Amino acid sequence: MADVVFDHASRVYTVGAKPAVNRLDLEIAEGEFVVLVGPSGSGKSTALRMLAGLEEIDDGEIRIGGRNMVGVPSRDRDIAMVFQNYALYPNKTVGDNMAFPLKMRGVDKATQQEKVRAAADILGLTDYLDRKPKALSGGQRQRVAMGRAIVREPQVFLMDEPLSNLDAKMRVSTRTEIAAMQRRLGVTTVYVTHDQVEAMTMGDRVALLADGKLQQFATPSELYDKPANAFVAGFIGSPAMNLFTLPVSAEGVRMGSSELRLPREVLSRIGGHERVTLGIRPEQWAVADGVGGHGSSSGVKAQVDVVEELGSDAYLYAHLDDEAQTAVVVRTAGRSGAHRGDQIVLTPTSEELHLFDADSGDRL
Amino acid sequence: MTTTVERPAEIVPRQPASAGREGWVRRAPLLPALIFTIIVTQLPFMFTIYYSLQSWNLVRPGGPQFVGLDNYVKVFTDSAFRGVAVNTVVLTAGAVLISMVLGLAFALLLDRQFRGRGFVRTLLITPFLITPVAAALLWKTVLFDPTYGLINFVLSPFGVGQTDWISTFPLTSVMVALIWQWTPFMMLLTLAGLQSQPHDVLEAARVDGAGSFAIFREVTLPHLRRFIELGIVLGAIYLVNTFDAIYMMTQGGPGTASANLPFYIYQRAFLGFDVGQSAAMGVVVVIATIIVSTFALRLIFRSFQTEEG
Amino acid sequence: MAAPTTERPASTSETRELAPAHRGNRAGPALLTVLTWILGIGFFFPILWMVLSAFKKETDAYTSPPTLFFTPTLEQFQTVFSSGIGPYLLNSLFATVMSTVFVLLFAVPAAYAVSLRPVKKTQDVLFFFISTKMLPVVAAIVPIYVVVNNIGMLDNIWTLVVLYTAMNLPIAVWMMRSFFQEVPKELLEAASMDGASLWRSMREVVLPVVSPGIAATSLICVIFAWNEFFFAVNLTAATAATVPVFLVGFITSEGLYFAKLCAAATMCALPVVIAGWIAQNKLVQGLSFGAVK
Repeated sequence: MADVVFDHASRVYTVGAKPAVNRLDLEIAEGEFVVLVGPSGSGKSTALRMLAGLEEIDDGEIRIGGRNMVGVPSRDRDIAMVFQNYALYPNKTVGDNMAFPLKMRGVDKATQQEKVRAAADILGLTDYLDRKPKALSGGQRQRVAMGRAIVREPQVFLMDEPLSNLDAKMRVSTRTEIAAMQRRLGVTTVYVTHDQVEAMTMGDRVALLADGKLQQFATPSELYDKPANAFVAGFIGSPAMNLFTLPVSAEGVRMGSSELRLPREVLSRIGGHERVTLGIRPEQWAVADGVGGHGSSSGVKAQVDVVEELGSDAYLYAHLDDEAQTAVVVRTAGRSGAHRGDQIVLTPTSEELHLFDADSGDRL
Repeated sequence: MTTTVERPAEIVPRQPASAGREGWVRRAPLLPALIFTIIVTQLPFMFTIYYSLQSWNLVRPGGPQFVGLDNYVKVFTDSAFRGVAVNTVVLTAGAVLISMVLGLAFALLLDRQFRGRGFVRTLLITPFLITPVAAALLWKTVLFDPTYGLINFVLSPFGVGQTDWISTFPLTSVMVALIWQWTPFMMLLTLAGLQSQPHDVLEAARVDGAGSFAIFREVTLPHLRRFIELGIVLGAIYLVNTFDAIYMMTQGGPGTASANLPFYIYQRAFLGFDVGQSAAMGVVVVIATIIVSTFALRLIFRSFQTEEG
Repeated sequence: MAAPTTERPASTSETRELAPAHRGNRAGPALLTVLTWILGIGFFFPILWMVLSAFKKETDAYTSPPTLFFTPTLEQFQTVFSSGIGPYLLNSLFATVMSTVFVLLFAVPAAYAVSLRPVKKTQDVLFFFISTKMLPVVAAIVPIYVVVNNIGMLDNIWTLVVLYTAMNLPIAVWMMRSFFQEVPKELLEAASMDGASLWRSMREVVLPVVSPGIAATSLICVIFAWNEFFFAVNLTAATAATVPVFLVGFITSEGLYFAKLCAAATMCALPVVIAGWIAQNKLVQGLSFGAVK
């Protein structure tokens, strides 16, 4: 076990091109489960592959247990990786696949057997040790890949979207199993995914990347409650946070024909800005019937376009009555009774509004 | 603009410390094959050029003598050489095109589900596998023999008597035998093309209301195009070098009526022992091939590009 | 992204049901099937006739109209054997096997270098290999003859081994390259992560995966080497001649003894026909230099 440090780690494929990973700084503690998340092309996989030794570190350093990894080949880094397509050796049995890393390190046959058995036991693969990967289901292959990683007892586990080839149900159950296993083994783990639900449920901390740059590195709840910028705010949470870029008025911000009043303390933070980006999560709205007069003066009027009933709750997709007909998403209790075409009035319920600089996107 | 603010200094890809050594480690496995190929296939051409400038006949006394371009002058004034060059083009182009058309037809017939499909395919590819010498022998004796040949037997109800096909139509007879041998190759290639067609595109075309013929013309044929091009190029590469069939069936005769360049050069070198002259012809053939194959390579190159793209 | 493969079979079976229904008449497909069978048998018939004639007595073979019913005899094969095909078969076998072994020894590492760990100018090197197949062999035969003669290697089977290796090497490099390219990159990455050196990951991971490709490549090399005639007839005589050369000599010595020729031709062609039948699925991949998978 060891801590992992990305210190200004960068990767450029060609001179002058935009770096795939741009001066990444991460300090991952021993035994921590860190998820790298981001849209495709964000550099999350590249960052993982740099840690794995499959990509060069062009600038900065990556340290595992304090040791600089620049120029160290993969096989000398004492790490194990689970690949997206599992990369199982097709001509070897499950048992031989799992024993391979031990064999390569000159571990004696008896110990190999013992460790493979122990891992197979944990993963429920004992009955499949003599089969070839071809004869296994997707979920079983995934377990074999996990098994091959854990028999080694490496310093760090690397996982590159290990669940993306599984079906939805399998993904949810395996997700919990991986998280539980990591906690039990206590091995430092770096996990890459594009799925924000995986990121939020599995990681001790989540590093959100976009465009090769780190956007925020924090616990899941912090990421949700205090997004560092508008990008993070829009990426985390489903349905996504409503983001409006609005002109600042005397007592708040102008939203369509109405004015959204903001607390004095908030107003002081946005002082000097002409426009700000306001973020309101779908569940931070109160919905009132908009037909019978104006109930609340601070609300904004909207018209419902689509209602998605999910049972426990419902999502209303609506547009505001401003010129641009800005789209807005509202989460309400299930069976809300709303229909397409309904006029509604929306009022923010929470004092915890998210405000971002309209230009830089940084949190205010 | 803003990028300069974000990146005060440009990040330069770090060359691994062992870049030079690593490069050689990667190249090393390639070298034996490369060196071997250069020595065995390229060096002889250098010698060919050298010999082509010498007057050297193995049966005449005296060694090689430098004569400059004399041999080339002789080659271009040799009317037999011109006739043989025309034969080569006719034989190659005819065999390639006809076997491609037949091969495409067979491929379309085989690209359906029916009983015994694998078996029929196996039957159809067999002519390609037969040793060319044996195939030529087969055509000469079993099929084209004037008295006992199967062709005259099959055609006898139509009043075709004991035609001696090989002496009457020597070049055509050779071509027929070559077409029989090469149709299977064209068939395999176009069949591979047909089977690599994505099903959803065909389904989409059908849903869009295209009939079978329209689908073939609008969807299948454009898809097959590069397979057909590849077949023509590869067929030409091999068929230009045809030697066995002519050697076995006609010996290039009567006269040089059915000789192609490989056979003619062979005759000059191994029956006429004229090293200088045959080398000069070889050089001429190589230059012609380079011109043709530059275009051919470009076609192939396109196939590989799309393959990898 | 979750399960991209699960729906494929359903859609393909659907097309098969759709296709005949669309054509409307039921007789069409059946007629096409019959036509295909007739063409297949017609194309194969000369070969069948050759094999049948090889089992005939000379008197049954040379008849007009052709004899269809006869008592099979091995007489012709015995004649072929007693006229000394043995050494020729051994020469062919030696030249074929040895050249194929050498081709693999050269081509497998080369293909590895140009596919899994490509170096700069890989494309150029690959096209150099193909271009050697484009140059007409006949233009090189004179210097080859002179050189081989000068070093005293005329009528020596090793001469053919070297030339057949060079002849098949480009095809083999291209074909092996296409097999290597099918090896997932992650497999090598996983092996290096698991602590395998380059050599061990090659031996333990890559070679087992590409072994079917190696088999197919070998078969194609075998076919071409066995069938080769031009070099064999020009560079060998009594001691190193191969089966195709025997066949030619047999014609001149036996004249037009139809059944005997058929027996000799059958023996000459048979090994390769069987190899080709086995490799038929991979034949295209080899002959198209790997362009068609």
